[in-house]
Amino acid sequence: MGEVIVITSGKGGVGKTTTTANLGAGLASLGNKVCLIDADIGLRNLDVVMGLENRIVYDLVDVTSGNCTFRKALIKDKRFENLFLLPAAQTKDKTAVNPDQMRVLTEEIKNEFDYVIVDCPAGIEQGFRNAIAGANQAIVVTTPEVSAVRDADRIIGLLEKEDLREPKLVVNRMRYQMVKHGDMMSIDDIIDILAVDLLGVVPEDEQVVVSTNRGDMVVMDNTSKSGQAYRNIVRRIKGEDVPMMNLDDESGFFKKLRQIIGLK
Amino acid sequence: MAPDWTNGNLVQFPGGGGGEPEEMMDENTVLVQRTLRSGQSIYFDGNVVIVGDINPGGEVVATGNVVVMGYLRGVVHAGAGGNEKAAVYAFRMRPTQLRIANHITRAPDGSDSGPIVPEVARIKDGTVVIETFSFGPER
Repeated sequence: MGEVIVITSGKGGVGKTTTTANLGAGLASLGNKVCLIDADIGLRNLDVVMGLENRIVYDLVDVTSGNCTFRKALIKDKRFENLFLLPAAQTKDKTAVNPDQMRVLTEEIKNEFDYVIVDCPAGIEQGFRNAIAGANQAIVVTTPEVSAVRDADRIIGLLEKEDLREPKLVVNRMRYQMVKHGDMMSIDDIIDILAVDLLGVVPEDEQVVVSTNRGDMVVMDNTSKSGQAYRNIVRRIKGEDVPMMNLDDESGFFKKLRQIIGLK
Repeated sequence: MAPDWTNGNLVQFPGGGGGEPEEMMDENTVLVQRTLRSGQSIYFDGNVVIVGDINPGGEVVATGNVVVMGYLRGVVHAGAGGNEKAAVYAFRMRPTQLRIANHITRAPDGSDSGPIVPEVARIKDGTVVIETFSFGPER
């Protein structure tokens, strides 16, 4: 019996889809059987980010409306044998599915997978209610901006109301240089407001844009910091105790030197 | 709510792309004078002519032939209902996925370019074949 994890944020553009794809690929690379569900009906993106758009024949709405079985609609990833995608429909909208149908669907799918990860649409309307319907865990993604944190706070409240307690937080697009200069919210500032467990911090990284446009996942890139951050998050989901990465841009030597001469 | 896929009268047209005689439906042709964007779709019992592009995420399903007078970047299903004689014509053929009758094809991974000429896709010997569109009798 697998876990159903919903990735949500309230605000758009903070990296829900990127996080979904990377955590899915990361968990699959560790040998777990993973199914990703794109719940963003009408604005589907997960297939594009994963480079699987041209394989879509059936979608989520076909499954919930009984046109085909979920097995028939699943698309196998081209890199990982045990990673599957259930794409959203593009020509319909959020009202094409209701929370009860999603509950039935996730119940059915989780019997055959270790992890079912649901990519939630932005907003708090029906799309959100559909996405969280069958979930038993939630990951809230935010960026270090007041607007994104405000929306994350609202979302955490709504999740608690739906009995999804203790959601985990991923802070995306962190820029440590700006935090250091006091121009950006720090992790501590965010945790102070949201008061939830931190699952990981992903630094701002151009490599994410490069791999997303190519239909690849940055979690497979062993050289990038964001890839490392996602791999750490994956290990934390698996229950490992992984220390937070030191994302200070400053090189080790100068830092040590400053520590030696006592400048913090 | 199964759609009625019954075809209209079939009329023989000589020539055409690839040079062999092909069947085109005389009636039931719709002219779409706009670009089909992501999420927009057309379902039609007959032929569809698009004067514009089909963007990725756009979809045309027709029981007959589909002609795109622009970039075909989305999904086209010609001959839906089982007409294996149906063809897809595009000024620029870059489909996400092509379906003719009961056949489904897609471009191989990593190939997002193609020739900058009009092309036609049709079923030959049981597979979907894309060829340069040449007008007139076989040379």
